Amino acid sequence: MLDRVDVPSDLNAALETLAGCRAGAILSGGTLLMPEINTRATGLTTLVSLKKLDLAGISVSGTRVTIGATTTLDAFGRDERLALLKPVVESIASPPVRNMASVAGNLFAAQPYGDLAVALLALDAEVEIAGPKGKRQAPVSEIVKKGVAADEIVTALTFDLPDGGSWFYAKTMRRNTNSAAIVCVAARVQVEGGVVKSASIALGGAGPRPLRVPSVEAALVGKPLDAESVTAAAAKFEADCEPFTDAYASAWYRTRVIPVHIRRALVGA
Amino acid sequence: MASRIVTLLVNGTPQEVIVRPGTTLVSVLRDQLELTGTKRGCADGSCGACSVVVDGKAVRSCLIPAETVDEAEVTTVEGITPVGGLGPLQEALVEGFATQCGFCNSGMLMVATALIAENPDPSDADIMRAISGNVCRCTGYHPIIRAIRDAAAKMRGAQQIAAE
Amino acid sequence: MDDHIPSETSGETLDRSYFSDENQHDFKVVGQPSPRLDARGHVTGTTRYFEDNHFRGTLHIKVCRSKRHHAKLTRIDPAPAMNVPGVVRVLTAKDVPANWYTVLRLINVGPNDEPVLAEDSVRYLGEPICAVVAESEAAAIEGASRVQVDYEDLPVVLDVEEALKPDAQIVNPVHGKNYFEYEGHPFRRIRFGDVEKGFAEADHIFEHRYQSRPIEQAPVETTGCIVKPEGDGRLTIYSDTQACFFTLDNTALILDVPTAKLRVVGGTVGGGFGGKVDVMVEPLACIAAMLTNRPVKFVYDRAEEMQVSSPRAAERIYIKDGVMKDGRIVARKMTFYIDSGAYSRHTPYGVTKASAHVPGPYSIPNVWADCHCVYTNRTPSSAMRGFGVTIGDFALESQMDRIAKTLGLDPLIFRLKNAYRDGDTKAHRKKVEGAALIEVIQRAAELVGHDLPEEYRKMSSVKREAK
Ligand SMILES: Cc1cc2nc3c(=O)[nH]c(=O)nc-3n(C[C@H](O)[C@H](O)[C@H](O)COP(=O)(O)OP(=O)(O)OC[C@H]3O[C@@H](n4cnc5c(N)ncnc54)[C@H](O)[C@@H]3O)c2cc1C
Repeated sequence: MLDRVDVPSDLNAALETLAGCRAGAILSGGTLLMPEINTRATGLTTLVSLKKLDLAGISVSGTRVTIGATTTLDAFGRDERLALLKPVVESIASPPVRNMASVAGNLFAAQPYGDLAVALLALDAEVEIAGPKGKRQAPVSEIVKKGVAADEIVTALTFDLPDGGSWFYAKTMRRNTNSAAIVCVAARVQVEGGVVKSASIALGGAGPRPLRVPSVEAALVGKPLDAESVTAAAAKFEADCEPFTDAYASAWYRTRVIPVHIRRALVGA
Repeated sequence: MASRIVTLLVNGTPQEVIVRPGTTLVSVLRDQLELTGTKRGCADGSCGACSVVVDGKAVRSCLIPAETVDEAEVTTVEGITPVGGLGPLQEALVEGFATQCGFCNSGMLMVATALIAENPDPSDADIMRAISGNVCRCTGYHPIIRAIRDAAAKMRGAQQIAAE
Repeated sequence: MDDHIPSETSGETLDRSYFSDENQHDFKVVGQPSPRLDARGHVTGTTRYFEDNHFRGTLHIKVCRSKRHHAKLTRIDPAPAMNVPGVVRVLTAKDVPANWYTVLRLINVGPNDEPVLAEDSVRYLGEPICAVVAESEAAAIEGASRVQVDYEDLPVVLDVEEALKPDAQIVNPVHGKNYFEYEGHPFRRIRFGDVEKGFAEADHIFEHRYQSRPIEQAPVETTGCIVKPEGDGRLTIYSDTQACFFTLDNTALILDVPTAKLRVVGGTVGGGFGGKVDVMVEPLACIAAMLTNRPVKFVYDRAEEMQVSSPRAAERIYIKDGVMKDGRIVARKMTFYIDSGAYSRHTPYGVTKASAHVPGPYSIPNVWADCHCVYTNRTPSSAMRGFGVTIGDFALESQMDRIAKTLGLDPLIFRLKNAYRDGDTKAHRKKVEGAALIEVIQRAAELVGHDLPEEYRKMSSVKREAK
C-alpha cells in the first residue's frame, strides 16, 4: 500500500527519493501504473511523480529531435514539426489517455502496447537517463529490452526525423481507434538508385518486447522496394520474432499475418 | 502515512481536501466533495466514465493521484450544468435520446465539452475520435454523436448571434 | 474514419399496411417521441446509482478467489490478512448462516448447488473463498492478496462433451453427474413428428456444428452494493441489481433472517444486460455489516466483472436438417450442449428456453431436440439478453444461410417458404400467435431494395395462402 506520493520539482530530489525508498516507482502519466495500483497488491509504497520536473518539451534543430520524457502523447501529436509521426501517436489509446500518457512511459509498456516504442526503435532513438551517478545515454533498443535501473529516470529521447518518403508506419487493430496492436510495423527504408540502401524495421505484437527484424532488413537491402522483394524479405521474419497469444489475437494468427502487414506497411496492399 | 492538503479549483469553487497517499481524483470528487456525477467504471482508464476536464484537457480522474494535480482547475458534469437548466450539450443528449442507462453520459459530456472548446465545428469523424475511449455498453453511439454535433452547431449559432 | 452518422429518421406511426386486423387502437404514445423521464438526471449527473450513496466510515470488501479451476482446499489461513493495517475482519464459509446461493430455488428449480463462500473445494477459477473487510479499498486488496490458501489439485473438466463421458471427473457433487436433470431426463427433450422418417424422405441432408464462447455483459457500472445497518436493526441494501426481489429473497435466505429485516434500494442500473440478476455481492456485504455494525461496500473491480460475474453460456450446437429440392425443410434435429460452468445459476432455465425455441421461427413437421445443461470447471453462466435463445438463433440462421447457398436459393425466399404462421403448432405443442417473420422479411427486403416475387410479397403470417 502507498504511504508516500512525492511530486518533486527538482530532478536531484526525485533521484534521492527513488534511491532512498524501499519499494518506489516513477509515476509519469500514470496510464499504465495507476491501473495496477488501483486494482492489485503491487507492493509499492512510494510514488515519485515527474509532473513538476520540467521534463516536458520538444526541440528540433535541423533533423535532430529532442523530446522531454514527460511530454504527453497529445503534445507530441500536436507539434507540426513532427507531423510525419502524428499517425503513430494517434494510433495510441484515445484523446483523454493521450492527454496524460507520456512518451517515456511508452518505452515501458508491456506488449501489445508500446506503439511509440516500436516507432522509436525503427528510428534508432537515443535515450537520456539520469541516475545517482549522473547522466548516461543508451540506445532505445537496449532500454526497451532491459529497462532502466530502479533508481534511474529517463529524461529525454532524441532521434533524427526521417524524410517523408522513407518512413512507414501501420498499426493493425481490431477496431479503427483505441485498441492494442495485433501487429504494429514501423520502418525507415532508404532507397537509392532504385534499390534499398538501408532498412530498419521494427515490430510490435511480434514478441515479448517491441523488436527489430534484422533478417528481414538484411534481405531487403540491395533489392527494389516492391511487392515481390518485400514479400520475399518479410518471409524471413520468423528468425527474429516470437509472436504471442492474448485477447486481441493468437500467436498462430500473428504468425500468419506479420509478413502480410510488413508488406502492406512498406508497399501498400 | 503522510496525508497532504491538496488545493483544487473545482467548477470554479476553491476546495481544500486532505488526501491519503495515492487517493485518486475521482475519489476526491465523489467521496470527499460529494460530486457524484463523475462515475467510477473500471479504475484502469478503459471505460471513460470518470472523465473530467483538468486544466482544459479531458482526462481520466481514476488514474490521477490527487497530489499530482495540486492547484489544478477541475471541471465536472456538475460544473457544466447551469442553475435551473441544461447546457447545450445536455439538452442535445436529452432531445436526441442519447441516454439509456445513463452511466456513460457524464464522461461523454466532459470529453465532448473539451472537444468543442477546442474545435467548435467538429466533423463526425472528429467526434468519433474524441469519444473513442468512452464506452457506452447500451451501444447508443450514433445518437450520442448526433447530439454532440447538434450541440456544437447550436453553440456556434449562439456565438454568432452574440458577436453580431 | 469517414463514417457518416445518418440523421435520425422521423418517428413513424404504426404501419397499418401490416397486421391490419391486429391493432385497432388509436395510439397516443406509440409512434410519438416523448422525452425519457430519467434523461435529465442522467445528463446532469444527478441520477443516483447505488455507489452515489456515501456514508462516513464505510468498510470495503475484497474477495480472495480461487487460483485453481478445481481443487480441494486443504488450508485457508486468514491470519496474514489480519496483519495488514486497516483490515477489520476476514469472512469465511463459517460466517455465512446458510451457505447456499439459492436463486433457482425461488422459482422451484433445485437443488441448491453453490456455496456463497467455498467450504472444502473450489470448482472454477475465481470462486470466492473468503472476504476481507477493511477500512479502505487498498487495505482490502492487500489483505485479500495475503490470505494463505493451500490447494490439492483435482482433474479439470473444461469441455461440455468431455464432461458427459462416463468416466469424466464429477464437477459438482450435489448433482453427482455433470448434467442438470429435467424431470428424470438427462436433458430437455423435444419430440415432434418423426425426424428419421423426415430424413429418409428428404432430398438433401445438411449437418453442421456451431459453437460460441462465454460472452460477458460488461456493464460500465460493475456489480456492487453498499449495505447500511439502521438503528432499528434492519439493513438497507443499496444495490445495482436488475432484480431487487431476487436480492431480497436470496439474501434473506442466506442470512437466515425474515425479509422484513432487509430493505433493498435499487432499480437504477448502470447497464445490466442480464449480468446483474445473480445475487453475488449483497449477502457478503450484509454479513460484514451485521458483524461490524458499519456500512459496507462490495463492488467488483473490472477484472472480477470479466472473470467471475456470470456470462452468457458457451454453447455447442449440432444441427441436422432434411430439406426437399424446393426448399421445404421436412426434418430438423438439434443437439445443444450448454455450458453451465461449475454451478447452475440461471442456466438450467436458459436450456429450457433453448428447447422451446427449437426449430426457430419455422414450421417443420418433424423436430427432435436434446438440450443438455452441462457442468464444467468454468465460470458459472447465467442470464444475458435473450439467453438460451440467442446462440441457438446464431446457429439456426447460419444453418439457413448455408442451406440456401448450397441449394442456390434466395436466402429470404428460403426463409419465407419455411416461415411459421399464426395457428401453426410449434414443436413444443404451443399454437403460434402474433407471428411476424413474414412481414418483417418483406419489409426488410423492401427497405434494402431486394426484389421478392409477387407470391412472396403476398404472403401473410395471419393467413396461409391456398395451395
Ligand atoms: C485505455 C488505455 C489504452 C491504451 N492504449 C494504448 C495503445 O494503444 N498503445 C500503447 O502503446 N499504449 C497504450 N496504453 C498504455 C499507455 O497509455 C501508454 O503506453 C503510455 O505511453 C504510458 O505512459 P505513462 O506516462 O502513462 O506511463 P506511467 O503509467 O506513468 O508509467 C509506466 C511505467 O514506466 C515507468 N516510467 C514512466 N516514465 C518513466 C521515466 N521517465 N523513467 C523511468 N521510468 C519511467 C513507470 O515507473 C511505470 O513502470 C493504453 C492505456 C490505457 C489506459
